[in-house]
Amino acid sequence: MQSLNLNYYYVLPHIIVAITGIMSLLFGVFNKQAHRDLVFINIAGLVTAGASTVRLWNLVTNNAKDGPLTAFSGMIVLDHMSLAFIFIFLIVALLSTLISLNFLEDENLSPEEFNSLLMFATVGMMLMASAGDMVMIFLGLEISSIATYVLAGYRRTDLRSNESALKYFILGSFSTAFLLYGMALLYGATGSTNLDAISNAIKSGNNLITKQPMTLELLYVGAAMLLIGFGFKIATAPFHVWTPDVYQGAPTAVTAFMASGSKAAGFVAFLRIFVITFAASYSFELHTTWVNILQVLAILTMIIGNIVALSQTDIKRVLAYSSIAHAGYALIGFLADDWTSVAFYMLTYSVMTIGAFAVVSVMAGQGDEKTDLESWAGMGFKSLGLSIALLVFMLSMAGMPLTGGFMGKFLIFKTAWDKGFHIIVIVAVLNSAASIYYYLRPMVTLFFREENESNPIPLMSWTAYVTILLALAGTFYLGIMPGRLFSLLDVAKDVIK
Amino acid sequence: MDALKPYLLNALVFLPLLGTIIMLMYDQIVGKNEETLRRIALFFSSLTFIASLPLIWWVGDPALSVNVPWVENLGINYHLEVDGLSLWLVLLTTMLMPIAILSGWTSVHNKVREYLAFMLVLETGMIGVFLAMDMIVFYLFWEVMLVPMYFLIGVWGGERRIYAAIKFVLYTMVGSLLMLVAIIALYLLHGDHAGGKATFDMVTIARNLADSNFLTSNQQMWMFLAFGLAFAIKVPLFPFHTWLPDAHVEAPTAGSVILAGVLLKMGTYGFMRFNLPMFPEAAHYFAVPIMILAIIGIIYGALVAMVQPDMKKLIAYSSVSHLGFVMLGMFAFTDMGMQGSLYQMLNHGVSSGALFLVVGIIYERRHTRQISDFGGLATPMPVFSTLFLIIAFSSIGLPLLNGFVGEFLILIGTFNSAYSRWFAALATTGVILSAVYMLWMIQRVVFGEITNEKNRNLPDLNLREKFVLVPLVILIIFMGVYPSFFLNRTAEQIKQIRTVVEKNKPNNPVANLK
Repeated sequence: MQSLNLNYYYVLPHIIVAITGIMSLLFGVFNKQAHRDLVFINIAGLVTAGASTVRLWNLVTNNAKDGPLTAFSGMIVLDHMSLAFIFIFLIVALLSTLISLNFLEDENLSPEEFNSLLMFATVGMMLMASAGDMVMIFLGLEISSIATYVLAGYRRTDLRSNESALKYFILGSFSTAFLLYGMALLYGATGSTNLDAISNAIKSGNNLITKQPMTLELLYVGAAMLLIGFGFKIATAPFHVWTPDVYQGAPTAVTAFMASGSKAAGFVAFLRIFVITFAASYSFELHTTWVNILQVLAILTMIIGNIVALSQTDIKRVLAYSSIAHAGYALIGFLADDWTSVAFYMLTYSVMTIGAFAVVSVMAGQGDEKTDLESWAGMGFKSLGLSIALLVFMLSMAGMPLTGGFMGKFLIFKTAWDKGFHIIVIVAVLNSAASIYYYLRPMVTLFFREENESNPIPLMSWTAYVTILLALAGTFYLGIMPGRLFSLLDVAKDVIK
Repeated sequence: MDALKPYLLNALVFLPLLGTIIMLMYDQIVGKNEETLRRIALFFSSLTFIASLPLIWWVGDPALSVNVPWVENLGINYHLEVDGLSLWLVLLTTMLMPIAILSGWTSVHNKVREYLAFMLVLETGMIGVFLAMDMIVFYLFWEVMLVPMYFLIGVWGGERRIYAAIKFVLYTMVGSLLMLVAIIALYLLHGDHAGGKATFDMVTIARNLADSNFLTSNQQMWMFLAFGLAFAIKVPLFPFHTWLPDAHVEAPTAGSVILAGVLLKMGTYGFMRFNLPMFPEAAHYFAVPIMILAIIGIIYGALVAMVQPDMKKLIAYSSVSHLGFVMLGMFAFTDMGMQGSLYQMLNHGVSSGALFLVVGIIYERRHTRQISDFGGLATPMPVFSTLFLIIAFSSIGLPLLNGFVGEFLILIGTFNSAYSRWFAALATTGVILSAVYMLWMIQRVVFGEITNEKNRNLPDLNLREKFVLVPLVILIIFMGVYPSFFLNRTAEQIKQIRTVVEKNKPNNPVANLK
């Protein structure tokens, strides 16, 4: 007799965020006036969810010996990796809520739907993080993607925003098809959709249903499909082409959310299937194969992202290509079979990316009009605080010490070098050196050019102010005092068997 | 006084930063007054200088060292120490900074607050580089220093400032990121050797390396190259020097002074701190190529300097030449050569810093740096001309002035080294060439008839400018007549490094070169 094992406690953060989303929707129905107060509902929900995540983390730490905690018959896995990423999503959602308020008010767009969509997208990502089954990954992905498609087109009257949403939708569905196909083939090969069962099947070499040796072609083709699908989601070259257009057209607050949250969600599912389910201890050949492919992809991604970014003139496109390059750096953590460095990297990356987009959304003014770098000429000293904040985020992305970006890169490079991936580390390092060029280019326009008197000083709302301050604090905290996080993550390395 | 010792090094690093913070908050408290801002900056940099003076007597005192764990699970410690190698470089930095701030007193009017803030942050970075005894802390200061320099060149620089600033940053970044890889590799290899007790502490690693060399020759070579590239770009060793003329020419006077005076020394300091004691075997393999590059730099720099029509560019290329001497002496692996090398770092810092100040002074009067625009300045500006002459002589290496001591030690050390005497012979031509370009410039600028009527009524040095130049001239003479005051404090450290290098000499370096 099998128990159903519906352990609701293990999905408490998900439930809280989902309820928050529903509440902001209902709040909008019954109270048409108080738009601003919506933010507080979201903040309260996200903070509560964060607190419950911390509790669950302790639970997992204390139960480390008893094996992984599962709920809903293995659909949900509760481990350190899922919780770490859930925490990242909560931070991303919090900061995105804060920066979005400004443009929603300015442009008379309704914040109720926006906020609830944001929460639903976050729930989807959280489900992806804690999925223990391919079906769950797919469900989480769809929940978050569909909400994000709508968010990207939220500026309904703006053509660019529509273009962005449509592009994102079509290419997103296209890549989801790959994923789904890959999952089907994997099921065909192994006879299960449960990731734990798949690992065991790969190890034994037998299909779980037929008890016959599995068709290896199915397994490998399925894995390749999955690789392509995830490649789209996290924007690795050569599957990155949609990113710049989508990032540029979407409202900046949404771009920030997509660039950090959606990407991190892709990463966690990617990690779950490749690094954990296809670990070397289950099948050495499969592991070597994907490591080799990923090595090439990572190198391509870094080089293409960085080189194309050099020639961009629009700050949102610069950041889009930079986010492609960052996916390349983070992939190096995959090679070293170390999810903790990837999680830390995604955390630092999310904080600095949202910070940078927050500055951009303020500088670009109403309707995101001024995202062309030229229009910022000489603004640096006029709005010194904003410019210095942007400088910090840019330097952090370039990997300057004292900022989170440095610690993230440092950790990734260190683990990869330790595992013997020397060439790729050197390629990555040379790429970061080149990237400093385009990260400092906004500074050239801001500070080194003559002032344009007609440019007004951008107005900053308190939410944008708070977001930028939080992101700055986060960037410096991660760069200067990462010790506590490192020791937390050190405890948590046990996920990979 | 002893009670202050544990705080001194931290004070040196953070005093300038404190000044920055006060300045940035200042205009919200009192309002924007350029004069007051300048005084604050001068006060903090002078305070740092005064605070650094006791180091001369306290150097090597273990009570000075600061060592607190920073990121414990990675083995990063916030470790500061001062020893014979870094002592004078720290003092050079703290001394040049108030002078540099004073030099821009009347010439910089654009965004004064930010300008001074960047200068002070730069000082923090430079002092940190020299004091850091943990590789990550070293790397941190090394990189952080780039940002203020980038802005100093980019905002307050000359016409081609954007190009120069970006070039400066890109060159440095490529080198320093490869250095980061080498730092990580060294850390991991040391961790394997020390049985899991991984650390970035330079002192520990250097000691363990000296006790039992856990690096294979191949590993040593790669690390030497990775560290060496970062430092060679900073020095700059030929052929990595091309960023230097651009950065020097475009930077504002104070920026050039700091760039020439201190930043270039960070490269040579890095060689002495990392490459020689940590990878001694590789140092032997690469000694001959580096010496050849150094000599090319000496002669090439001097020849190019000779034909420059622009004074700042002339001095910039003369730096390439002088730093070639520093590298030559260092890789001679003799006590004298290495002592001279360290001494020449200081000399170059003082005299080329002073030369840039001189150019800044006449640029402020005439807004041109072209040699052909001047002539006969001795008549309207006698005090200036005298000081200029002494500084130029120091750069040439006239006996009784500081340049002579350094160059002489280097040449003797190279002559007596295990390598070909031709190195010393060729380097000596550099001394002659430096006399040619310096004296020729002096002749065209200071002496002769006044060719340009605009120069006839130029005012001589005012009090502020005297305060800028006279201390440097006194130092030039003091260093020339009493070098043992400086050399005594560095001798032991140099000897240690040389012993380590000597001990690890491969039997047949040429055969191993393949």
